[in-house]
Amino acid sequence: MIKVLFFGPVADRVQTREMQFEYAPGMTLHDITAKVGMQHPGALSIVSFIAVNQNQVHDKQTALHDNDEIALMAKFSGG
Amino acid sequence: MSEPVRIQEADFSQDEEINALKASSQRIGGIATFLGCARDFSEGRDVHEISFEAYGSMALAEMKKLRAEAIAKFSLLDARIVHRVTTVRAGDNIVFIAAAAEHRAAAFEGCRWMIDELKQRVPIWKKEITPQGEAWVTPHP
Repeated sequence: MIKVLFFGPVADRVQTREMQFEYAPGMTLHDITAKVGMQHPGALSIVSFIAVNQNQVHDKQTALHDNDEIALMAKFSGG
Repeated sequence: MSEPVRIQEADFSQDEEINALKASSQRIGGIATFLGCARDFSEGRDVHEISFEAYGSMALAEMKKLRAEAIAKFSLLDARIVHRVTTVRAGDNIVFIAAAAEHRAAAFEGCRWMIDELKQRVPIWKKEITPQGEAWVTPHP
């Protein structure tokens, strides 16, 4: 299972804080962002950072593994 | 003694944070601090409250990395970063950063660098609650 987390402005647009997708061998980050984007294009449009297991990744071809935790995040505004 | 890097709901005491820094080394010659607090006005609107949300585990890990990098980069003797994640009102404390060094230049530079990096790298978001409604804040440079 792949867990996808949403926070702040992205969570508001998706109207949930978490989604789960069945893991399939060979799955990439792009597969997940495409699935989310199909359902919530408005949310994906404000995603500026993506983390896999709490580390930022920039390559959407990154291979995923079962039980990975992905976060789709808008620009940060802490401080 | 409290951890040097924390995310918490509760307010913090600047005195306690500075005392903890001073207790860490007697070689410290200067401590520079940044205190971020809530404004009652933003983008032309009154702001009643600011609500924070964080990707807690990643935010804390990133803040710890940031502190370690600042210590190495500016030869700091110690540093502390505390960020509140809760709902605050005008005047309330939000974030505290302190950099301790042998001399003031490194302390100032390290402190400035940490707050700038925190805004860029740490997954925390703020929402302003105004009389006109709520809005997530677009980052400032």
